Amino acid sequence: MPSRMWRLALATAATAACNEGLQPTPTCPSGFVGICGLVTFQVPLPDSLRDSTDAVFIVAYKNFPTAPESLFNFLPLPPPTVPTNNSTYPYSLQLPNGRYQWVLAVWKKKGTLTTQSADSLLREVGFYKDDGDTTTHGSGIVTVNGTARDSIDFVIDFGNMHRICTYFPPCPP
Amino acid sequence: MPPLKRLVVLASLLAAPLAGAGAQSSGVVYGTVRDSTTGRPVPQAQIILVGTNLETLADTSGRYRLAGVPAGQVRVLARHIGYRASLRTLDVAAGESANLDLSLRPSPLDVEPVIVTAAKRSQLLDQAVTSVALVSDSDIARRAVSTVDEAVNKAPGVLFLNGQVNIRGSSGFVEGLGSRVLLLVDGVPANEGDRGGIDWDIVPLEQVDRVEVVKGAGSSLYGSAALGGVVNLITHDIPIGFHGRVRATAGGYANPPEQLWSFRDYTGGLGGLDVTGSYGTEALRGSVTLGGRHSDGYREQDKSDQWETAGKAEWHPAPDTRVTASGSWTSHQYEVGPPWCERGHCDDHGLAFQPFLIDTANHGAFTRSDKGYVAATLERTPSARFSWHARGSWLRTHFTDLHPGPDDFGVANRFGAELRGEVHAPGGGVVTVGAEGSYSDVTSNIFTGDTTATSDTIRSHDQSEFAAYGEGEHQAGPVRLTAGARMDFIALDGGSVSSVLSPRIGAVLPTRAGTWRASLGGGFRAPSLAELFVSTIAFGYRVIPNPDLQRETAWSFELGNSTALGSRVHLDAALFWTEARRLIEPVFTLQAGNPVIQFQNVARARLRGLDMSLVAIPFPWNLTTSLSYTFLDARDVATDSVLAFRPKHLATLSADYGWHSLSVGADFRVVSRIEQIELAGPYAGDPRVATKVVDLRAGWERGPVSARLLVNNVLNYIYSLTPGTLEPVRTVSVTFAWKY
Repeated sequence: MPSRMWRLALATAATAACNEGLQPTPTCPSGFVGICGLVTFQVPLPDSLRDSTDAVFIVAYKNFPTAPESLFNFLPLPPPTVPTNNSTYPYSLQLPNGRYQWVLAVWKKKGTLTTQSADSLLREVGFYKDDGDTTTHGSGIVTVNGTARDSIDFVIDFGNMHRICTYFPPCPP
Repeated sequence: MPPLKRLVVLASLLAAPLAGAGAQSSGVVYGTVRDSTTGRPVPQAQIILVGTNLETLADTSGRYRLAGVPAGQVRVLARHIGYRASLRTLDVAAGESANLDLSLRPSPLDVEPVIVTAAKRSQLLDQAVTSVALVSDSDIARRAVSTVDEAVNKAPGVLFLNGQVNIRGSSGFVEGLGSRVLLLVDGVPANEGDRGGIDWDIVPLEQVDRVEVVKGAGSSLYGSAALGGVVNLITHDIPIGFHGRVRATAGGYANPPEQLWSFRDYTGGLGGLDVTGSYGTEALRGSVTLGGRHSDGYREQDKSDQWETAGKAEWHPAPDTRVTASGSWTSHQYEVGPPWCERGHCDDHGLAFQPFLIDTANHGAFTRSDKGYVAATLERTPSARFSWHARGSWLRTHFTDLHPGPDDFGVANRFGAELRGEVHAPGGGVVTVGAEGSYSDVTSNIFTGDTTATSDTIRSHDQSEFAAYGEGEHQAGPVRLTAGARMDFIALDGGSVSSVLSPRIGAVLPTRAGTWRASLGGGFRAPSLAELFVSTIAFGYRVIPNPDLQRETAWSFELGNSTALGSRVHLDAALFWTEARRLIEPVFTLQAGNPVIQFQNVARARLRGLDMSLVAIPFPWNLTTSLSYTFLDARDVATDSVLAFRPKHLATLSADYGWHSLSVGADFRVVSRIEQIELAGPYAGDPRVATKVVDLRAGWERGPVSARLLVNNVLNYIYSLTPGTLEPVRTVSVTFAWKY
């Protein structure tokens, strides 16, 4: 093997190795496809809920759920969680391209989630709203088209939690 | 055809090369092996009686003795790493002894090492029908690595993904569960009985003499788990007389390159000490290794402590008989760090992720992992044409995961036994036949098979395997043809027995354009007890058992060539193609309308590519260079997408220069960005980059003393291979070794 080739290979290796690896990333990573935004906590998680809280999730629905059976048609699967010890939190949802009718935060109580237990374990605690939205529930429509949709910000309010049956009435006593 | 009948037919076919084999009168060949340039003896030189299974190693004075040599004209081959092999012919009279002194000429390229794994018997590397990568004891010493996985990770075509070994992209990454690579320790299967994964710390590196990595499906000889290859750790032979080795390592980890990533106000350190002592006579030999190491880790909550011991004893009651007993025990306690902290789950400084920090919810997570094995082997060579080998083994693993919430634990055993015979026919044919059995069990609170996740439930499960195998090699003109198969019978929890046949055919053809090899083999992997019965919570979701999991299967084809380009360049290249079915992967699914995680047979995969290594000594001085490269096209055929955790390019460029007692060297490793991962949801926006790591080393050696400086990841390149898991930062270590 000619020595020049080996010198060239070593020089190439040294040059390539100087490329940078992971860097501090303040917001949505580049090349990210989905929704990014900031959630703001209207009030902190009440101490009375702290022990029973499993997690707070952010999810998106392509179609607004119309029955308890469609409750689990959310994306992404599994959804990311939101820490409850911050006053604001920058979230991101990795989603396939499409039109999303409902982006919301869900508080989940500890326990095994089933269709039957959903109403007792889940609470809607806030969702993205668009000022120009005219849909029944007032939710903002977000379209993902191969890039990051930033600034999908909304408020989480633990003082205004809604049961699932609010959207599929009537609510059991 | 019923499985048993197929086995009988196969056995009769395998026996064909034996026609004409018979007992003969014998004599003894003895002598000394010396370096042809210095006249010094060559200890540990391998002496082989060609065409038989007789072989021995020269002692520390270069002396050897081969008994049971068939009377008549015989050919004796002597070889040693760093020397050109020497082949001599002589006549041996019945009942007489013949002296044969051998001299070996130093050679810069060691192109014909002997391997023992590819065919379950000794053979020359270029006689193997599949690709085999070697990591020799000199490679291990030169690289100054401290653990077995670090040593294996340097083999061409091998990539570790957070501790899970991949050979040509075989395993991907499933949190250490269900390895598609079989680990052997001196030929004894050592994959965990419960998870099917590999504990790389089960044997101290100090005990390992060399590593053989067999690529492609190996199930025709080794059964389940050898679907994607076999890694055999071969421990040191015990020399005659008193000998000792002491190896001490100390070093430290670089701090994060960015102030925003800073996580502690001191520099993390590491250190270790291994002591080995041995004593041997012609009849009895024994060695013991004791060792321990500590690491502060390079991330938050990454400390580990490890204590290990290993021993080996040999008894040679007769020239044709050897009894070996070996064992090890390792206790490893380590903090559990990954995955790293995502935004909002720690003091994130407003960053999307903090690679050196972990989620505050995982603070305090800790694992204690104890593991060990004992094995006993009886080898007999009643004649030059026939030898047999029997072994028994017991592997035990016990882990306890301590973390917020209920603790998890598992205690697993794997008992194994094997009886193998090897017959050499006068015409050059070789037949290997054997039977192997194993019994694995686990008692755990997470591998319960329970449909409700509760840490209070403790259950046991077991799996039994019995197998018969055979492989024959026949010389037809210049071509060596190989055919064989293995029939495995598997029963779960004492239930019904299922069977699987794993055939393999191959050929080796020496030509002027190098030695060509081709093989086609079937492989399989039975699901591990963990994959079948896991019942726990992960990512906040129920992980449910799947006792209906089927075994994975694969067909692997390989066409390779090994050639010397002049006296200073050696090239080995292989095209490979694997078609896999029913791969077991974790998937999100809905059960009764509820989202859960479950292991399922999902993927139909195709893995194909090119695997090559080039070793060159371009100048008349002591510079050795090598380049290994693997191109992998791994597709999920069912979904027409890239298979998860399979990087397309893997390349390592190495150079080593020696001058008198000093040496310096460097490695540059590139792994292309992993395009696809599994369970992407929890790792939305996982910031993966390509791997580009430079390692530097320097060494000094004089007589029995050596010192080596190792700087891994010298550019402090920050990267991850699996989601949320930071790979090691720049690590500086100094190793002192003394041999007696």
